[in-house]
Amino acid sequence: MAKKGLKNLTQRNTFMWGWILVLPTVIGLVVLNLYPMLSTIFQSFFKTGDFGRGNTFVGLSNYSKLFKDKSFILSIGNTLKYTIIEVPISIIISLVLAQLLNGKIKGKDIYRTIFFLPMVVAPAAIAMVWKWMYNSEFGLINNIFHISVNWISSPSIAIFSIAFIGIWSDIGYNMILFIAGLQEVPTDYYEAADIDGASGFRKFYNITIPMISPMIFFVVVTRVLAALKVFDFIYMIISRANPALEKTQSLVYLFYTSAFVENEYGYSSAIVVVLLLIILLITALQLIGQKKWVHYN
Amino acid sequence: MRKIISLFLVISLSATMVFASGNSEKEASKTSSNDETVSVMIWDPNQEAGIKEILADFTTETGIKTDIQIVSWNEYWTLLEASAKSNDLPDVFWMHANSALKYMENDLLLDVTDKIAQSDKIDINNYYEDITELYSLDGKNYALPKDIDTIALWYNKTYFDEAGLAYPTDDWTWDELIENAKELTKSDGSVYGFTLKNDNGQGGWFNMINDANGYVISDDKKTSGLDNPNTLKGMETMQKLLDAKVMPSQEIMSESEADVLLGSGKVAMATFGSWMLSAFKQNEYISQNCDVARLPKDATTGRQSSVYNGLGWAISANTPREDSAWKVVEYLSTKEAQIKQANLGVTMSAYKGTSDGWVNCAPNFNLQAYIDMQDDMVMFPNSKSGVKWNNAIYDCMKEAWMGQITVEEACIKGANEMNAIIAEE
Amino acid sequence: MGTLQLKDKKMKKKNSTSIYIHCFLILVSITMLVPFVWMFLTSFKSITESTQVSPFVIFPSKWDPRAYTRVVAYINFALLYKNTFLMILFRIICAIITASMAGYALGRLKFKGRNLVFGLVLTQMMVPSQIFIIPQYVMISKIGMTNTIFALVYPGLVTAFGTFLMRQNYMTLPKDIEEAAKLDGLSIGKIFLLIMAPLTKSSMIALSIFTALFGYKDLMWPLIVNTRKESLVLSSALAKMQGQYTTNYPELMAASFISCIPMVVLYIIFQRKFIAGIATTGGKL
Repeated sequence: MAKKGLKNLTQRNTFMWGWILVLPTVIGLVVLNLYPMLSTIFQSFFKTGDFGRGNTFVGLSNYSKLFKDKSFILSIGNTLKYTIIEVPISIIISLVLAQLLNGKIKGKDIYRTIFFLPMVVAPAAIAMVWKWMYNSEFGLINNIFHISVNWISSPSIAIFSIAFIGIWSDIGYNMILFIAGLQEVPTDYYEAADIDGASGFRKFYNITIPMISPMIFFVVVTRVLAALKVFDFIYMIISRANPALEKTQSLVYLFYTSAFVENEYGYSSAIVVVLLLIILLITALQLIGQKKWVHYN
Repeated sequence: MRKIISLFLVISLSATMVFASGNSEKEASKTSSNDETVSVMIWDPNQEAGIKEILADFTTETGIKTDIQIVSWNEYWTLLEASAKSNDLPDVFWMHANSALKYMENDLLLDVTDKIAQSDKIDINNYYEDITELYSLDGKNYALPKDIDTIALWYNKTYFDEAGLAYPTDDWTWDELIENAKELTKSDGSVYGFTLKNDNGQGGWFNMINDANGYVISDDKKTSGLDNPNTLKGMETMQKLLDAKVMPSQEIMSESEADVLLGSGKVAMATFGSWMLSAFKQNEYISQNCDVARLPKDATTGRQSSVYNGLGWAISANTPREDSAWKVVEYLSTKEAQIKQANLGVTMSAYKGTSDGWVNCAPNFNLQAYIDMQDDMVMFPNSKSGVKWNNAIYDCMKEAWMGQITVEEACIKGANEMNAIIAEE
Repeated sequence: MGTLQLKDKKMKKKNSTSIYIHCFLILVSITMLVPFVWMFLTSFKSITESTQVSPFVIFPSKWDPRAYTRVVAYINFALLYKNTFLMILFRIICAIITASMAGYALGRLKFKGRNLVFGLVLTQMMVPSQIFIIPQYVMISKIGMTNTIFALVYPGLVTAFGTFLMRQNYMTLPKDIEEAAKLDGLSIGKIFLLIMAPLTKSSMIALSIFTALFGYKDLMWPLIVNTRKESLVLSSALAKMQGQYTTNYPELMAASFISCIPMVVLYIIFQRKFIAGIATTGGKL
């Protein structure tokens, strides 16, 4: 009997402490995240007036307007295009770099420093200089290679030029994570494979990749999440008069224009809700898919 | 234990700093007269130096300090709107025809009618009436006119010399501009005769419309004039320009603004508003190679008009520093300050008859052209939803510029969109 | 073939592949560095030189520092640095305190409602931040706190990601120390503060670095909430520089360069910690 009483006391004690410690975060999450999220979803069913004054209920009409809007549909495509190009390429390149820099190689530290540099620089500055380098008339790229490509004003390639900037800035970050993952792989596997006479490529494919698959999974999930939310580069580089605008603007860019340039709080909330659904869908698919290729110990 | 205490101290010190930095400004601003600094917001970095100088004189005279900040045009209205919502507007800021009605109707600008009447330093009749009108509603004034601007044609003398062509005259027609542009355009694409971007209405194609006796928005501000027969006739010039292929592609024009194109020798001619003078004065290439002439006229009607606009100095309706803010605006509008503004090459003055200094401030440029354009001025087309329909019609024009539809189709499409937006006002 | 010759052959093979490897690495390095070099070179050219195409100008003929002097005159970089720094500092403090507390509770204590809270944390991590932005903005403007450091810190007062990270770390700590402390009669609070938290130093450092980096790079929130000149941060100030009718490339590049410097300098000094920190965020998940 006494034992049970003691257990209850400890349970209540733990309960109290648990909630005390968790309280700031919970309050924060509710006030800063849960409430705003519900408020935004709620807002998506309204239309806003001048300076945010006055709200009229419009039901689903924001959503039906959205799906009839050609530029909205295109922006979904643009966002997906960006994601499909940026994520796999940056991951593959950084995997290769990680493998190369993991071994004994001269100047390893210098390379690491250089590759990580784009990560510490503000996206605004990166966007400015890349926009300038991509300029079809006066930019570095067209003038050094004597070509004239409309890198950021051609509807068909602008999104890919932006994706390249994304790859450029993410490689270092991904690489560091992969190196950390690689260092956790026990060397015995490799030694055993050496004895069996396996080639470098086979070792990579059959040992390295499965062993660091949890890390690859983490990087893929986080990078996809970030790519679906791409905004900064497009905002700074593509202007309204740019012929490539419709084929390049991302969902979040559309959201920003709608919310803060045209001050349509209701309509922009609808855009964000759709983005949320897309993200949930893709993340769910990834979580389900992980069983097929990710090896946990 | 010591570590925790010192950590706690650091945190609380910093916390006070954080909240203090937010509140001390607000508290300081609530004390009266000479302790307060009046915040001033504008968007043109080229005008900053001149305005700063004038404001420095103001501070010397009155002891009231001012703090000027520049927010780039793209962000200006977003920021102003956000500030309006959070009741945090700067004390004094530029107002533009684009948004004046919206701000006035929503009681965000201070009513200065009485202050003007009681002032012994300024008389409202000294300013261009149309500009004063822009910033008044129901007989009350909500901003003081700051300047007036017109549009003119800039051209590259060197290219004209090389091609053996005579410089643009005061009697040029739009057709002559097109002909000369053809001669100046080089086949290898290194030089184009002219540039005019789809979103350059005020400084560009609105003038073609006005010259043909068309209009962009009706006088009662209820209907679009883009599908008016005269408008369409005027816009034929634009179609001719596009067909003649004397302008860089939309790709190039969207990546590099007209000033960069002129200043790099990429185009031989372009139209610019008088506000560009400060930038051009500082540009070596333009100073050495370019000059300015009046805008061309319509061959049929003979009209040689320019869209004009004038900014206004507005005061936030809820400013805690009403008296100081008013003193700043009053000072900027006095004859002396307006003359100084002109002399410093900032802009032409809203005060009638004081722009001579401006004309003479850069002797290598024929700035008289801008003054001459004042002979026939058409007010910048505006209405409450101006920003919105401006964007809408520019987007329609973009399709014409990209060759997807004709200019006429773009005008009609634009008229429909404009009418829809105006109807929602 | 003798073993010596075999070894020789293997070495030769290794050397030739390593030349290819080095070439590849150098190529990537150049790609990484070119934008910075170009930023630097452009900032010292005159406006005319920066847009000259025939011939194309790579090195400025005169190293003209006027773009820097002009930019520094109308942008108060010291203030921008200060605002950015304060924002980051407070975000880090808030993150470490709240995330450690919550991370410990979620990772080591069994109490009712624990899973619900953890679910809340996970949800926030997955949801795009733009879904919070307008209501957060409305909240801040309603209490009149726009254009303050507090406003900049606001979204970072608590961190779901940080909580998750710390939770993972706490879960990996051994149980015995805790048991021993309990037997000694220490309260849970004391156990957390005096014993468990100090064991998570590496994760706290990682979290700090992560928070600093992402706070520094955040654009949309500072852009809309702190609009007055005196409350801008580096990212938003830069974004506001692009003008309507004029573009002054040397000045734009000069401003970009100046805004890069603080982080780059910090990074070069604290390289190892930076990189180790980022590696840990991935490793612990």
